[in-house]
Amino acid sequence: MAGLGSLILMFVLGYGINMDVNSLTFAVLDRDQTQLSRSYSNSLAGSRYFDEQAPLHSYEEIDRRMRAGDLNLAIEIPADFAKRIARGDTVQIGAWIDGAMPVRAETVQGYVQGIHQHWLLEQAQAHGYAFETPVTIAARFRYNPDVRSMPAMMPAVIPLLLLMFPAILTSLSVVREKELGSILNFYVTPTTRLEFLLGKQVPYIVIGVVNYLLLLVQAEWVFGVPLTGSFWLLTLASVMYIVIATAFGFVVSAFVRSQIAALFATMLATMVPATSFSGMITPVPSLEGVGRWIGEVFPATYEMMIARGVFSKAHGFSELGYTLVPLVIAIPVVLGLGVYLLPKQER
Amino acid sequence: MSQTLRNTWFLGLKELRSILRDPMLLMIIVLAFTVIIYSAASSMPESLHKTPIAVIDDDQSQLSMRLVSAFDEPYFLPPEQVSSQVADRIMDEGRFTFIVHIPSGFERDVLRQDMPELQVIVDATRMSQAFTGTGYIQAILQQTLTEFYAEHSLVNGAAIPVELALRSRFNPELNPSWFASMTEVIGQITMLSLILTGAALLREREHGTIEHLLVMPVTPFEIMFAKVWSMVLVVMIAATLSLVFVVQGILAIPIEGSLWLFAGAMFLHLFATTSMGIFMATFARTMPQFGLLLILVVMPMQILSGGMTPYESMPVMIQVLMSAAPTTHFMQAGQAILFRGAEVSMIWPHLLALLVIGLSFFLIALARFRKTLATLV
Repeated sequence: MAGLGSLILMFVLGYGINMDVNSLTFAVLDRDQTQLSRSYSNSLAGSRYFDEQAPLHSYEEIDRRMRAGDLNLAIEIPADFAKRIARGDTVQIGAWIDGAMPVRAETVQGYVQGIHQHWLLEQAQAHGYAFETPVTIAARFRYNPDVRSMPAMMPAVIPLLLLMFPAILTSLSVVREKELGSILNFYVTPTTRLEFLLGKQVPYIVIGVVNYLLLLVQAEWVFGVPLTGSFWLLTLASVMYIVIATAFGFVVSAFVRSQIAALFATMLATMVPATSFSGMITPVPSLEGVGRWIGEVFPATYEMMIARGVFSKAHGFSELGYTLVPLVIAIPVVLGLGVYLLPKQER
Repeated sequence: MSQTLRNTWFLGLKELRSILRDPMLLMIIVLAFTVIIYSAASSMPESLHKTPIAVIDDDQSQLSMRLVSAFDEPYFLPPEQVSSQVADRIMDEGRFTFIVHIPSGFERDVLRQDMPELQVIVDATRMSQAFTGTGYIQAILQQTLTEFYAEHSLVNGAAIPVELALRSRFNPELNPSWFASMTEVIGQITMLSLILTGAALLREREHGTIEHLLVMPVTPFEIMFAKVWSMVLVVMIAATLSLVFVVQGILAIPIEGSLWLFAGAMFLHLFATTSMGIFMATFARTMPQFGLLLILVVMPMQILSGGMTPYESMPVMIQVLMSAAPTTHFMQAGQAILFRGAEVSMIWPHLLALLVIGLSFFLIALARFRKTLATLV
């Protein structure tokens, strides 16, 4: 079930997380209604980023429709727009952006400015003021030239899945014994704490590795995301990462007594840092405060770097070997902490 | 009827007592709604904030220097000059998300109208930064070029004197911690409510205490409804306190709309998620199974509901799929209420959707729960 679950998740997340912001809604309050003013709104509507909505008629309507979330962008073209331009007066076009979701708003800002500049140049050309062949600015997306979301997200989803599943399973495996009382067997027999944990850990490591291989097969053959770099680097890193993830579950298990608390604690302790602080969407060096600090030490950051490097950038040991170091250090630290926190007697 | 109410009331109290008896669980709930929300919200940077950018300037002309100096704070760090030989390597190392390449003879070609090309090389693995930044870079370059054309009479500068006045509403400085704090609160609400109801039911099964309940004169409806109301109450209190004290208080994020309306939407959302929790618990036999099921449900609900990337830009298939998830509607309604000050008349479709989803999950879960109980006896 863990295997099947992570395959489904890989598909849904890889397919669904889309960074290329498009299908943005906008409407125009056109107080001029001339050919020129319409050419402005057409240049927005014609871009692949924006979908035009029914026109606006008043400021109250802008306010209402933006509050309701119908519009990401509202444009106001002032009265006598064309006339004043012909006269050579400076005219201002108003653009209101819904800032509720800052990531989206920033993208909208960038698009609108670009389209505005483009329109200016077009008009200048149409009136014979400009030369025929302006400079072209070409954007080249390295490592993912078609900007597809699958190849971009697939490598980011692997560290997330390989952390959550093993950690939850191991932390529950310990807390379960506490809750159901069978942990007494461990208290009364001469089993050492390390033996107890390693015995629990090994089967989950095996499950994790099988899971990892399944994910790889699915990425490569089902979704056609090629593994361009070193398979052995990714595998070595992932095995170490799974060892850390399972040990991490033990650390969490030491703090809780009920399975409910274990479940909640492990989910919080893995999901929040892995989705927000490990460079999945925002690069770690751009984070601030506590998040930055967590991101720097959290193993998922390094597994993410390795997965991205190996999948998208054709990297191997020579480029990414150094990222193994934090993983190697983390194994004894996390496992040692798990052993240290596990009491040999009930407290 | 009054007997049903009484039973539900007392069974619910029993649930509350079992939470109180688990101090560690309470601690984690408090942590989730304070420290975690604070740290997630305060570490969110603007997606373009002092972004490192490199320039390969093969031209070294006045124009190229002007283009280079057009990039400045707060969006970009001053560009670093690199040679084209090392460009590939530094991009591989991930030191720069963007490299702008100005070809040699660029200024000359512009003046001769020879169709020169500027290249912006983007590290596409940098996700949000890559896409937002590309738009900004193109706009900055374009604007600088337009000024240059005007000065050299390539364009009659006065010809098209149109300015664009951009204003962002509801969050004028586009401070990302506003949105991040809301996403995080909604995430905790969802996760906690699913776990509390689902896991509480499973625990009773694992410990065999559910049989105790069955021999008493209570119906499955009463057992289930008791779990729903008590857990809704716990999460509502925790989330509302967190909004007032952590989000409004410590993080000082202004909330434009009515907290009451938000609480109403939260109530509908919780009704749906707690029912989902019970529904999921009827499928699992052990807690580890429930844990796996939980990841499978929670992760897409958190990541694809519009909290991390804009919902409207997702593939249509995902949008259809996610419109059945309560988080999607709660996220939309929450955004509208908290930041845009929306009223009921504007967001009722989302509230209605939440109600429908909640009712369906409750009824389906109840049917499943009855069946599961029947097999136990």
